[in-house]
Amino acid sequence: MSMSRDTKKATKLVWKALGALCLVLQSLVAHAQTLEVELVIREHLFYPSEFTVPAGKKIKLIIMNEDNTPEEFESYELNREKVIMGNSRGIVFIGPLKPGIYPFFGEFNIKTALGQITAE
Amino acid sequence: MTSAVIIILREVLEAMLLICTLMASSKAVNLKLKWLPIAIILGIAGALSYALFLDVISEMFEGFGQEIVNSSLLMLVALILAIHNFTVMRLASDNGGRYHEKVLLTAVTAAVAMAMTREGAEIYLYVYAYGILAGEATAVLSGAVIGAGIGLSIGTFVYYGLRMLSPRRCLLICSAFLVVIAAGMASQAALYLSQADILHAQAPLWDTSSFISESSLLGELLHASLGYEASPTLVQLLVCLASVALTVGALLFALVLNKRSEGDA
Repeated sequence: MSMSRDTKKATKLVWKALGALCLVLQSLVAHAQTLEVELVIREHLFYPSEFTVPAGKKIKLIIMNEDNTPEEFESYELNREKVIMGNSRGIVFIGPLKPGIYPFFGEFNIKTALGQITAE
Repeated sequence: MTSAVIIILREVLEAMLLICTLMASSKAVNLKLKWLPIAIILGIAGALSYALFLDVISEMFEGFGQEIVNSSLLMLVALILAIHNFTVMRLASDNGGRYHEKVLLTAVTAAVAMAMTREGAEIYLYVYAYGILAGEATAVLSGAVIGAGIGLSIGTFVYYGLRMLSPRRCLLICSAFLVVIAAGMASQAALYLSQADILHAQAPLWDTSSFISESSLLGELLHASLGYEASPTLVQLLVCLASVALTVGALLFALVLNKRSEGDA
């Protein structure tokens, strides 16, 4: 069975629209450069526990968990949560952030594994 | 022990509200709760396999396996809740036959199993690493039992509260709950995708954290029940609205079809 000409036209149009949408989405980020920050979890603490990043930039947080136990990197202010298994590495993208202070914590050690990111 | 209580309660509460609402709605259309033990077994199996393979899964998709799996689970559950809303309303006015019953049973079982998979995996990881491996089994396990106990009591309270209503009202309120739960899940899915940089980073639209902080008890409760987000982004909001349109649309579509069948009769 062959598709009718109208169906073909419609399908083409849908693909074109999707393509245009992708371009718009791409252009939204094209200007944002990504900055990398490395973070280490050792004996249930974050190193560095406090650091500063430029506001308005996308940041790639590379989190190395050197403990044998899993940890969950979590932040309400950054709206992020990710389990990082023992002896492994996890990547979390954050930002672009407005200037301010963004606390984060390790969910499995909520009392001790604390830190904060300052965006300025 | 207190941290164990909090960690477990947070995870249990989110799944519990969904489970109790689905239990109440399926009871309201006279379905037996036989699906529940099956859903729980599937959920536990799902949680265990997710937790045990989390290191492998995390490495997939260039290190964003977790985000992909979590957002897929969340979006699937949101979709299933829309299916639930449709079938439950069809069944409520005797328009649904055996077929609708089967669809509903599959939907509620799948939704509960998937929700448990996500929350349960974290519970397992925590209890195993910090309780059993760390030799703190008594403290962590008793904390876990208390946390789960509080979650279960709140769930029981919600379930019986919903069951006290007339079946029709119960269904409407359950469906409304599910609209909100699905919206929260959809917005959470969007967050996972932006965490992985699949959805592109955006500045939040507004910030109400000075009003209700997500780390406060109220914020925490609102987040678990309504998916409260102090600083949502545009994508998150759009995904959230799409989910509302879908779940409410499913409900309204069923009601329209019901009216039409009444007219035919």
